[in-house]
Amino acid sequence: MKKFVKHIVYFLALGLILGEIIARFFFLTSSIPERRIDEFGIQRYIPNQEGYSKGGTHKWYINSKGWPGKLPENYDNLITIIGDSFIENFMNPDSCHQMNFLKELAPEFNFTEASRSGVSFIEALEISKQLDSLKPKVHLIYINETDFEESIVQINSLTDITQLDLKKNKIVYGKMKAPGVKKILYNWKFIFYLYRRFQSSFKLPKPTKSTEITQNSFTNHFDYFEDLIDYCRKNYNLKKVVIVLRPDTDKQFSAFLQRQDLNVIQLDDSRDADWSFEHDHHWTCYGHQKAAEQVSEYLK
Amino acid sequence: MLFNSLEFFVFLPLVFFIYWFLTFKSLRVQNVFIVIASYLFYGWWDWRFLSLIAISTVVDYYIGINLYKEKRESKRKLLLWGSLVINIGFLGFFKYYNFFAENFVQAFSFFGNTISSRSLNIILPVGISFYTFQTLSYTIDVYRSKLEPTKDFIGFAAFVAFFPQLVAGPIERASNLLPQLQKRRTFNYKQASGGLKLITWGLFKKVAIADSLAPMVDDIFSNVGTYPSSTLFLGVIFFGFQIYGDFSGYSDIAIGTSKLLGIELMSNFKFPYFSRNIAEFWRRWHISLSTWFRDYIYIPLGGSKSSLKTVIRNILLVFLISGFWHGANWTFIAWGAIHALFFIPLLISGRNRKFLNSFVLMGLNKSTLKEMLGILTTFVVVTLSWVFFRAESLTHAAHYFKKMFFDMSFRVYNHPLGYRMVDYFILLLLFVLYEYVIRKDERNPYKFKSKPLRFILYTLTIFGTILFYDSGVDRSFIYFQF
Repeated sequence: MKKFVKHIVYFLALGLILGEIIARFFFLTSSIPERRIDEFGIQRYIPNQEGYSKGGTHKWYINSKGWPGKLPENYDNLITIIGDSFIENFMNPDSCHQMNFLKELAPEFNFTEASRSGVSFIEALEISKQLDSLKPKVHLIYINETDFEESIVQINSLTDITQLDLKKNKIVYGKMKAPGVKKILYNWKFIFYLYRRFQSSFKLPKPTKSTEITQNSFTNHFDYFEDLIDYCRKNYNLKKVVIVLRPDTDKQFSAFLQRQDLNVIQLDDSRDADWSFEHDHHWTCYGHQKAAEQVSEYLK
Repeated sequence: MLFNSLEFFVFLPLVFFIYWFLTFKSLRVQNVFIVIASYLFYGWWDWRFLSLIAISTVVDYYIGINLYKEKRESKRKLLLWGSLVINIGFLGFFKYYNFFAENFVQAFSFFGNTISSRSLNIILPVGISFYTFQTLSYTIDVYRSKLEPTKDFIGFAAFVAFFPQLVAGPIERASNLLPQLQKRRTFNYKQASGGLKLITWGLFKKVAIADSLAPMVDDIFSNVGTYPSSTLFLGVIFFGFQIYGDFSGYSDIAIGTSKLLGIELMSNFKFPYFSRNIAEFWRRWHISLSTWFRDYIYIPLGGSKSSLKTVIRNILLVFLISGFWHGANWTFIAWGAIHALFFIPLLISGRNRKFLNSFVLMGLNKSTLKEMLGILTTFVVVTLSWVFFRAESLTHAAHYFKKMFFDMSFRVYNHPLGYRMVDYFILLLLFVLYEYVIRKDERNPYKFKSKPLRFILYTLTIFGTILFYDSGVDRSFIYFQF
């Protein structure tokens, strides 16, 4: 038995070393930047980091403000671009960021990005509040309906995302989820690769009761959304905010936002080739360019 | 619980360590633990159907003891029928009720009478065909006085529910498995490491071969009308490899898991696609089922010692029942009939036992080309018959054949999920070549003297499994539905 266990341990150790070499050599996973919580309670990246995308095709950078992408040359006539992993855009080279396409299409403006994967709508507004010190003309917030749902504690309480507690009328800032474990996982490339590969197998389906299904149906959330928008009107300058809805956004949700008298751009990909990667719903460089074209039309 | 699930990767090491570190001192404790682990394994899917296994266990245990005690033939026959009615009754109700009900209605309406039938929403208990046949073999062997019944109830319960082979075989015989469960197991390094190797190889066959081909097979069989004949040929060849990888992979994991617990199960597959005729194919494919039919149906019907007419009838019957065993659908019966049609000429010409115990393609000589031709012909016949096995109905199968043979055209097939097709062709080519290299010993897929070579092969197999794993694919085993 001793020999058996010993051999398994040796084999596993050798396999892990070999796997780590392969994972690093072939860039099997993209590197993930480290995060911190800033003085305003918002999770952002530690400044001046760089890393590789999956496959090693390009590098990504975190600027001195702690956001992905480069900073503008000057801040006059500024437009900020706020969003989640779509704007963070680690899957495309630096030249494919929204700010670069928009600068080409609307050179009279300067653009800066502030994005992080998992940002909720309320968190995007919190970020916009911080960026107000740069006196921007407009805040473009790229979202879809799930970012609204994730903004409200009463719909889905998420500890790692900044949310609004509608009962207490108070912002609940997101906390870092197991930062130590994440640091190890992100640096142990082979284990991280295995984790990503088998991630969906780890999730056990939770049984849902019929009453829960009714309560969670999407349209029933509109009352919550109205309360959220009321809160936002009182606490943020929504006149400066333009909500850019991704093409996959629910149509009922899009119509609902427009009824609320908010500035909304509904992106449309129906006349173009596919905007997304084949095995990833994020936009390709082409998708970003097309999105920027539609946004620049609105800005004009 | 699926062998290729995360739960099993937690379950197996736990069972292994408890079995060898806590229960190793006593046979009874070892068997009690096997029963608990097996019931947990099965109950993970649906605990309600544990009652069927429990009823089967209790009934066959007591019938076995009474069959041995009873000297009057009429009473013994009654006991045997009791076991057959209960076991086949469960199987018949859960698996075949709707089939018979629907076909009776159709038959009556054909003759102008209309009757109403009630289809029930019946869930098929996983593995019912397998454990029913296993317990039946015990009772029949005791009835024939080929086996003494066991008086150890726990040992018998472990025999019926032994989790590595409970849901999809190999269908064990009591004469092989029971004696092993009646002796205290001691740890054997060679056996355990052999088990791990088989599990590794079985997982590769399931994940990298079967599961990676599944989306293409599903796509082609669901869109017969839209694809040219070249794609339909590809679809059925892929299904041939899918079902082989799926079922032989399962069997390897079952045999390997069992070895880890110190128990040897019978082989279920011996490289069937290297068979030189259909008769040899059936000595290499799903061996535990084909030998079951041989021992409990074909031989009792007279075997090959009767007149040629009777032998042909028996063969036909066995193949039709074998097809029907796979599922309550006419497609499986047609599949069995096709195999019978290719088997019977071999029987008549006396060539059905031609390739007993000989290895295939052992060096270049005069017979090599002949052997290769035989392998190719058998592969074509077996592969074409898979159309019936995979089709949803006879109409679907007929449509598939019609498009395949009467609408000859070629178009490059693209993977439905956009993956590179060349990767799959290379994978299958390497797989066939490797199976050829290891064809002498199905229980040892890494039988090489060189340690570094073995290490490279283990690593390649594991990495191949990881690389081809696709979380979006339905990971259940095809034979679970039987």
